[in-house]
Amino acid sequence: MRLRGLLWCSAILPLLPVALSASATVEGRVELPKSHSAPVQAKRYQIVTKGGVLSTQPPLAVVYLDGSFPQPVSLPMKQVTQKNLTFVPALLPVRVGTKVEFPSLDDTYHNIFSYSPAKRFDLGRYRPDERPIPSQVFDKPGLVTLRCDIHEHMRGLILVLNTPYFMMTDTSGHFRLSGLPAGHYTLKAWIDSTTTREKPVDLKNGQTLNVDFP
Amino acid sequence: MNAPDQARDKDVASFRTRLFTAMMIIVAALTILGLYLAQRKVAADAERNLQENFQAELSSLHELEQLRHATLADRCNALAAKSRIHAAIEDNAIDLLYPSANDELRDLMEGEEPPPEQAAQSLHATFYRFLDDTGAVLKPPNPKEVGQLGRKAEAQLSLTKLPETQQIGYVQENAGTHGGGVAEVLAVPIFSTDTGDVISALVVGFKPFQPRQTDAGVEMKSGIWVNGQLHLPSLPKSEEASLSEKIATAVRQLPDRAENNFRVNIDGAPQLLFYKRLNPGSLFPPAYEICVYPLADSKAQLQRLRWQIGGAGALLLLGGFVASHLVALTFSAPVKKLALDSEQNRAQRQRAEAALATTADELERSTRYSADASHQLKSPVTVLRVGIESLLGREDFKPEIYEELSGLLHQTHRLTGVIDDLLLLSRMDAGHLQIASTPVNLSQLIDEWLDDLGALPDSPDVKIDKEFPVGLYVAGERQYTSLIVQNLLENARKYNRPGGRIRVSAHANAAEVVLTIGNTSRTIPPGENIFERFHHNSTPSAASGHGIGLNLARELARLHGGELRLVRSENDWTEFEVRFPAADGVNPVA
Repeated sequence: MRLRGLLWCSAILPLLPVALSASATVEGRVELPKSHSAPVQAKRYQIVTKGGVLSTQPPLAVVYLDGSFPQPVSLPMKQVTQKNLTFVPALLPVRVGTKVEFPSLDDTYHNIFSYSPAKRFDLGRYRPDERPIPSQVFDKPGLVTLRCDIHEHMRGLILVLNTPYFMMTDTSGHFRLSGLPAGHYTLKAWIDSTTTREKPVDLKNGQTLNVDFP
Repeated sequence: MNAPDQARDKDVASFRTRLFTAMMIIVAALTILGLYLAQRKVAADAERNLQENFQAELSSLHELEQLRHATLADRCNALAAKSRIHAAIEDNAIDLLYPSANDELRDLMEGEEPPPEQAAQSLHATFYRFLDDTGAVLKPPNPKEVGQLGRKAEAQLSLTKLPETQQIGYVQENAGTHGGGVAEVLAVPIFSTDTGDVISALVVGFKPFQPRQTDAGVEMKSGIWVNGQLHLPSLPKSEEASLSEKIATAVRQLPDRAENNFRVNIDGAPQLLFYKRLNPGSLFPPAYEICVYPLADSKAQLQRLRWQIGGAGALLLLGGFVASHLVALTFSAPVKKLALDSEQNRAQRQRAEAALATTADELERSTRYSADASHQLKSPVTVLRVGIESLLGREDFKPEIYEELSGLLHQTHRLTGVIDDLLLLSRMDAGHLQIASTPVNLSQLIDEWLDDLGALPDSPDVKIDKEFPVGLYVAGERQYTSLIVQNLLENARKYNRPGGRIRVSAHANAAEVVLTIGNTSRTIPPGENIFERFHHNSTPSAASGHGIGLNLARELARLHGGELRLVRSENDWTEFEVRFPAADGVNPVA
């Protein structure tokens, strides 16, 4: 754990000077699809498929600033855990080039694989004590559907983005992206596997822009 | 043999011929009817047998299909549940679909191909393909792994849309060329576990079902007709093509009929062809199971039966001939007898008629003779009487001669009376006597005759009682009525005894007048026919007559429509009764 903590620190430190010196902020709200199920804990959500469309339940959106940004030398490692035969988190936005580990907390075999165009991989069958923890580097932007060959119902999503500026809204759709570089960009809101909204934004240093996605 | 016998025998023979002809017609009709019915039954039976055979064939086919379907459905459901299949389809990784399924379906394709006779029993697939969401075939990256298939054959696997249920189809493996095999394909939908939608379909191809050789001894050919082409390997190519045309026509004419049969000629031999839709309601092109059965067996059976029934008919006819012969004999015996009897009757009648004619002739002759004789007699008697009367007129004879002459004269009078009677009788016998009926006063007539009677010289001493009213009228001719009364009264006097009695009574009732004349006399013995002509008393006496009187009186009474009869003759009393028809409405009714 200490090691992981150190890694975290080393990943965040290079970003800090930019954020502090000159940065813009975007905040607002994404109109999320109505959830028909009873509200649950914000942290516990899962991927559902409706008519071939994958989305989170309860609905969440990923808001990100699209653009061309210099690729960093290294990126912090991310994790998608298998717990109680679900992926946690069910939806993980990562920057291109991120390595994601798939540790298992279930006392059973899992076989994580993906046939998605953005990333095809097959981790094979492994148990929780498998070391090193099976992992994949996601080097192509796009949506990756995670599946388990053994547990057909399991679904997870990894949204691979070209940008370091992204965040998940809360369940009511509110977001706040800060430390953004000034300039003309497109702000996008990923809502489900087939719906991504976008708005052009003109960011100025020290300014906070309010953008709502209807 | 004489002519009537010959004619009679001819009649009997013709009767027999007619009877036999009738029986022959009936037997022939029955035989024909029997043949017709038997033929129909045999044909129907044969068709039913073949139909049953066909159904059995189909049901075994059906069983196998069920087995395959169930197995494949399970397999596909399992397959559809596989994450990798889903992933491949849903995540647009079609290239990974076949490799993913390869593992799952490996056992289906693996292993040695079983020998043809066991192909039906195994689930050994020869190929499989997936359909995409439009129903088109997904191209396999490595056809070797999924069973190679010609481009045309592969195209036949495509459906217009993804099926919701299992679909059976038949594809020609080498389409367009004869002798190419037919593969049975089963399309099974793959449902998304997430959405429940049909996301794809698995199409598995099998070696076509080879109908087992039946052990029922029925030589049968079976095949499949699909896409307008018949696949019946045991048939020559040319026959296959022409038969295919016929099936196409039959199917086109009755598109709603899933099954039917019709007769065809293959190589000049009659056959019964059954067809049945193998994949009703399928999205694949319609395919039909075809079974062709030779009808030679049933034809032979029919032929045999024809012979049997024909033979039975002939036997029946023969039996009928014998029976009709016997029956004719039996029947003709009475007919013969009848004919004989009638012949005898006729002869008898002819004889009787001849005798009757002779009798009539003789009678007529005798009547004529007696009439002639009477006339011939009358003239000499008249001459005689006139002579005696002239002699009596002379006065120069001795008194005893006068007495003698008067006696002779009396005899000539009697002779004249007899001749008159005979003349009258002969006229009656000849039927020449006509009665001119007028009312005649019978009472007056009787009185006159009684007066005359009393005046007669030789009247015996008899007492006469009269009991009749005056003015009794009868219908008749006075002359003859008078003759009747005279006869009876004369008899009553003549046959009386001295000191005897005569009683004359008469009365009228509604229709007739009854006159009764009784007298004391000797009893007439019973059985003595006193009314017979020229009757003579059995006991000779002085008072015997010439035996015509009573006969004449009765004939006259009958001629008048009346009757004369002897009422009684006993205890010194003899009584006669005459009934005259009464004159209309003039008599006092007693």
